[in-house]
Amino acid sequence: MTTEPGGTGPVTPAVGPPGATHPVTSHGGAALRRALGLRTVVSTSTGLAFAALEYLAAAGLVAYVAGDSAWIAIGTAGLLALLAWGFFGELNGMFPTAAAIRLYMKRSMDDRVALIITFTYMTTIILVIAADAFIVGSALSHAFNEPTWVAAIWIVGLLALAVGANLRGVHVAGGVQDVATYIVLAATLVIASAALLRSHAALRYPLQPLHGHHGTDFIEAVALGVFLYSAFEWVTTSAEEVRHPAHVHRGMLIAVGLLFVVCSVATVAMSHVLTHHQLTSAYPQLYLGQATFGQAGLWAMAAVTAVTALNTFNGGFITASRFVYGTAREGSLPRQLALLNDRAVPWVPVVALGAVSLVVALVVALTHGWQVLVAVGAALEAMIYCVAALCTVRLRTRAPDHHRPFRVRGLRVLGVVGVGLFGVLALVASVSVENKFNPVPLVIIAVAAALSAWYVLRVLPRVQAREAARRAATPRRRPPRPGTSATGPPPSVAS
Amino acid sequence: MATSEEIAEAYADWRARSNENERLKKMVRGWDRRVHLSTTDTAEGYTLEVRDQVLSQLYPGHVGQPDLIVTGSSEDFCDMFWGDLNPSAKYMSGEITLAGSQEDVMRLDAISMVAFLDQ
Repeated sequence: MTTEPGGTGPVTPAVGPPGATHPVTSHGGAALRRALGLRTVVSTSTGLAFAALEYLAAAGLVAYVAGDSAWIAIGTAGLLALLAWGFFGELNGMFPTAAAIRLYMKRSMDDRVALIITFTYMTTIILVIAADAFIVGSALSHAFNEPTWVAAIWIVGLLALAVGANLRGVHVAGGVQDVATYIVLAATLVIASAALLRSHAALRYPLQPLHGHHGTDFIEAVALGVFLYSAFEWVTTSAEEVRHPAHVHRGMLIAVGLLFVVCSVATVAMSHVLTHHQLTSAYPQLYLGQATFGQAGLWAMAAVTAVTALNTFNGGFITASRFVYGTAREGSLPRQLALLNDRAVPWVPVVALGAVSLVVALVVALTHGWQVLVAVGAALEAMIYCVAALCTVRLRTRAPDHHRPFRVRGLRVLGVVGVGLFGVLALVASVSVENKFNPVPLVIIAVAAALSAWYVLRVLPRVQAREAARRAATPRRRPPRPGTSATGPPPSVAS
Repeated sequence: MATSEEIAEAYADWRARSNENERLKKMVRGWDRRVHLSTTDTAEGYTLEVRDQVLSQLYPGHVGQPDLIVTGSSEDFCDMFWGDLNPSAKYMSGEITLAGSQEDVMRLDAISMVAFLDQ
């Protein structure tokens, strides 16, 4: 079929697609049939941050500050999250795409450095999926009054279910995700508030976070507090499917507010009614439910924990596997990682993600080192906030005329503050576990960074050379225009 | 800059390859979607559909409400339909932009990739 120049009508008579009821619209004038509204953006942003690991991080934070005043550390971390929100808001406005992290990083720094940072950061997704599998497995095992080792079976089953569902292309629909997230938040808030009300004891030190602690403890508490908001920015990968571009940064802002309220109340309640043993267990939220409403409360929190995993597994598997697929298609990862199954799912990244998460979850189950995971996650998240601040600052200089629907005011000061503060918090979080000096998180991050650097600096050049050779050997299919040469490689070969 | 005739010719080739590909038919089972294409350099619009596992012809203009909107240069669309261009690389560099759900983007990319796997 051919069309007349200008696309005003077909030369060969053609009718509109079946079912078309709308008139022909001008260039770029149509709205998407299925688009995400603000409610779903908020639930996605909040749901991605509110993983099961949230409860353990919140309980762990109590070790650093006088428990009843934990909300101050969480509020301070929330202010820092707002700073990060500003950076991600500006970057997302400039690059409203799921590939934004690749775009703004490679335009701000050397692409090899950008890739090393990105691959290291992707470790967070593995950790969160592994941690959630471990926590949900342990919580269900405890709720059913089973021996501890049964948790390992739950972990294997949960991850197998998540991998299987992803391979079959099953995803949680936006509406279901909305309901799931708001149920988790509401249930946590109600049970935590009821725990405080039913304890019949006044708060001990609601305004004295340093009571019995040092100033450095508060900094560590804030570093851990940043983790409570972590992943709220992952919703920027949905920028292409929102009804209105502003929904993304508005949604993130509301999510930060919701996270502050729910996490503060839950942390203060846990510190108020739970024992040290319960706080340091793998399921403090179950004890919170039990302390409030007895066995019914325990089961309610077990159900809530399982629902959080729904969001984590859905969002985590999709985000990570699609990112790996896109990076492989771009030519920065081996082509095998872009293989699709018959349901158009990149099955190699999904299976690999499930396998690595399983190993990490089982190691955590054996070593009881979940607070190490929390510290690694907190450090990586602070690191990526630091990088976002740096990118925002550098792009103001490198791309001053780029359209910015949202701008951070006072970036000259806030940018430097963001880089400095998040850099320090990343360092602090990476050497502290349960209020003790512990370099294990730093070692884990260093190993992940070293592996990423080895791949980017040593393996990737060979992958790219092979791809270039394949491209050069593939003849161009497009017929040459009259008077032009048919030789020469295509701009970039598909498949 | 590619003319609309060149884009239509390239699309016809892509459509034929895609509709003959059994694996691709499996991949788009139940995936009935309408896609709008917009060129940045020639300010033209096109519409294509996938319905009942079959890729439609290319309609001029933006018809109906889309599930997916793809924006790029006319040359990129032409090269993509001929299988000479990897749309993912252009997407990751920001030269092709998309609006739509990630799953729809994946399926469209799958069509562009699988149609040329024998190459």
